[in-house]
Amino acid sequence: MKTFRYALALGALLLASPIYFLAQNVPYERILHAANEPQSWLTYSGSYNSQQYSRLKQINTKNIGQLKVAWMYQPGKPVANLEASPIVADGVMYITEPPSTVTALDVRSGLRLWTWSPTLPEHVVSIGLYATSRGVAILGDSVFIGTADSHLVALDAKNGAVRWNVHVADNAMGYAMTGPPLALKDKIIIGSAGSEAAVRGFLDAYDPKTGKRLWRFWTTPRPGEPGAESWGPGAYESAGATTWNNGSYDPDLNLIYWGTGNPAPDFNDDERPGDNLYTCSVVALDADTGKLKWYFQFSPHEDHDWDSDEPPVLFNAAIDGKPRKLLGFANRNGFYYVLDRTNGKFIAGRPFVKETWAKGLDANGRPIPAPNQEPTLGAGTLVYPSITGGVDWTSPSYSPDTGLFYVSVHETGAYFIKGTGRIEEGPPKGIVGGGGIRALAGEQSYGAIRALVATTGERKWEFKMLAPAWVPVLSTAGGLVFSGTDEGNFFALDASTGKPLWEFTMGHSARSNPISYEIDGKQYIFVTAGNAYMAFSLP
Amino acid sequence: MPALRISAAVRRLLPAALALTSLFAPGASRLFAQDVATANPLPADVDQGKATFEQRCSVCHGLDGGGAMGPNIQGIPMRIGAPVVASTIKNGVTGAMPAFGGQLSDAQIQQVIAYLLTLTRKDADTVTGDAAKGKEVYDASGCASCHIIDGQGGDSGPELTKVGALRGPSYLKTTLLYPGSDLPQAHVFLETGGLLDYMFVHLVTNEGKAYDGTRVVESSFHIVIEDAKGNFHSFRKSDLKELKKEPGKSLMPSFKDKLSGAQIDDLVAYLAGLKGAQ
Repeated sequence: MKTFRYALALGALLLASPIYFLAQNVPYERILHAANEPQSWLTYSGSYNSQQYSRLKQINTKNIGQLKVAWMYQPGKPVANLEASPIVADGVMYITEPPSTVTALDVRSGLRLWTWSPTLPEHVVSIGLYATSRGVAILGDSVFIGTADSHLVALDAKNGAVRWNVHVADNAMGYAMTGPPLALKDKIIIGSAGSEAAVRGFLDAYDPKTGKRLWRFWTTPRPGEPGAESWGPGAYESAGATTWNNGSYDPDLNLIYWGTGNPAPDFNDDERPGDNLYTCSVVALDADTGKLKWYFQFSPHEDHDWDSDEPPVLFNAAIDGKPRKLLGFANRNGFYYVLDRTNGKFIAGRPFVKETWAKGLDANGRPIPAPNQEPTLGAGTLVYPSITGGVDWTSPSYSPDTGLFYVSVHETGAYFIKGTGRIEEGPPKGIVGGGGIRALAGEQSYGAIRALVATTGERKWEFKMLAPAWVPVLSTAGGLVFSGTDEGNFFALDASTGKPLWEFTMGHSARSNPISYEIDGKQYIFVTAGNAYMAFSLP
Repeated sequence: MPALRISAAVRRLLPAALALTSLFAPGASRLFAQDVATANPLPADVDQGKATFEQRCSVCHGLDGGGAMGPNIQGIPMRIGAPVVASTIKNGVTGAMPAFGGQLSDAQIQQVIAYLLTLTRKDADTVTGDAAKGKEVYDASGCASCHIIDGQGGDSGPELTKVGALRGPSYLKTTLLYPGSDLPQAHVFLETGGLLDYMFVHLVTNEGKAYDGTRVVESSFHIVIEDAKGNFHSFRKSDLKELKKEPGKSLMPSFKDKLSGAQIDDLVAYLAGLKGAQ
């Protein structure tokens, strides 16, 4: 009798197999062991170590020339500033549409299963940023999004029904969410943007079941706290240091690694003497408590808008013959850094693009400032790199196969103009402090994919591009590196040599992580550009 | 392929078209009644507007708003009305000027307008020649074999129907004497400069065939050039063994030794007066 019941249940399961694929359940253990299921893409950068690396290798250096568009999805209404990276689990892809819509697609066909949009206020404040979303997180049977008006929302992964919706921060004051949340075992981690509106940055943890806030880490210290001496009086309260992208997690150390943004006002440093902790830093927080374990500040007392919000890349490698737990960071300030991720100690660093603002790094990784590189009034000061930095927020990739760190770099400078505005009380009217840049002409700039030896930053090869690009990088076990140009090409390079092997003109630059997944034994490469969400596969 | 040329011409001419059309729009004379910041700007608004202008606008319009590759916009709200300026800043001009609506708040746009109102139009860059004589010089010098004015002429060089609304006299003079020495930028990104228009390109294919021409469009993987006869040639970069960009060179000859100083000034006066159909 029991056997019969099991047979019935099995039969029902088989008959219902399409529904089975739509029944979502992604417990923490699956994300933790994401490397064991390369057919899925369970977190923003593919894994907690933010390597932007896929173990799939059906598409490889031998057959890449045959790669073709398999399907495309386009939102009902044209969108602007599409920067959405997907999550793929159990036959479903979760994407966002600007500003804060979540859509579930069938990964075989690209057809839409459901879509959800928040009710946003008539006027969403988005100062110094685009009101967009870089993606969702998944945990259990819920997906999570941070909205343009700074709410964190949990949706039923199967149908998009709202489970809870919490107000995280005041959008009227300039807080706006663009970065994807990070799902841990029993927490949803999310930060906010808003440095240009002079908000005070933070990183939050929420209970995935209830939306209750579990802890908040303020990214600038109050008077009396360690680091408070790095600010002028009161300046910490409107200080920036926002956390507007995704972070990384080391489950063994139970540490969260998250980058922080520029200080405010950015181009007027008159009233914020000191290093301005923890702006332009990576902070390591205890995942249970949100307490600061260590920090490393890339650009002390920064005034060129070089946020440090790129996801930190975690990898293990030998340094002087000894295995080490490392953190790699190609910083917007133009230097590549290797840190010991157990304690934040500097191991190695060197420029990965032309830079003129520092003479180098000292033994602790602190920059040695070069003279006359501060923004000035009037025509400004020519500084390399430009405001967009050596690379901005777009994710690099690390391949454990090659030990190389792949990054899309900007080779350009700009005239930096000092601001004269001050921070005022009340809701911000625009970018605080004024000032800014004048860009060099396009012919004086170029972009490149550079492969750096991850443990040293030494350049192994480069693939030059016409213009600086804003396209993250994906590397795969197929020996490929995928990225895009600012002119709208999507391409694959040989991961060992940088030789271009395949190219497709998309008609618009990509602005999201290329990712890879597999369904029905077929590997796909996915990317977005303009209004299009595109999956590529072999014929 | 001609579509490329049309779009290139249109994107250069649209801002002027928009500005001129708006002069005759109903209500344009009711300048900025509803705009608080511009009706009664505070010094702080003007300062903020100046800062925003220097950061966002000066790349094309010059640090003093007197025009660079983009047109002179000193005092433009007075001439075409603050609402039109606000809407242009917000929505941009397709192919010619980025939309700043997502970048600047309404308050910031009003601050920029308040600042623009403080800039009195300077006419240091004045025309000294005789436009009627300049037209004769134009017709006699073969300019129309490469340039279109009011639908007449060849298309291997830029259309000039509205060139006077886009370029100042000194820029036009420099171009006549030293073609290619100061190329306009095709379009400007907010944080990276745009590529130059009319870049002279010399390239050689892997088979050894050489081409000279003006760049029409380029990506990291492809380039299309237009030769002196107006033919387009499209290449994959992987099929080229040489690709040399030569700013300073041009398919257009210099008129430095072909025309007298007075003739050049007359020609400049003619071109500077070309503002398109009104």
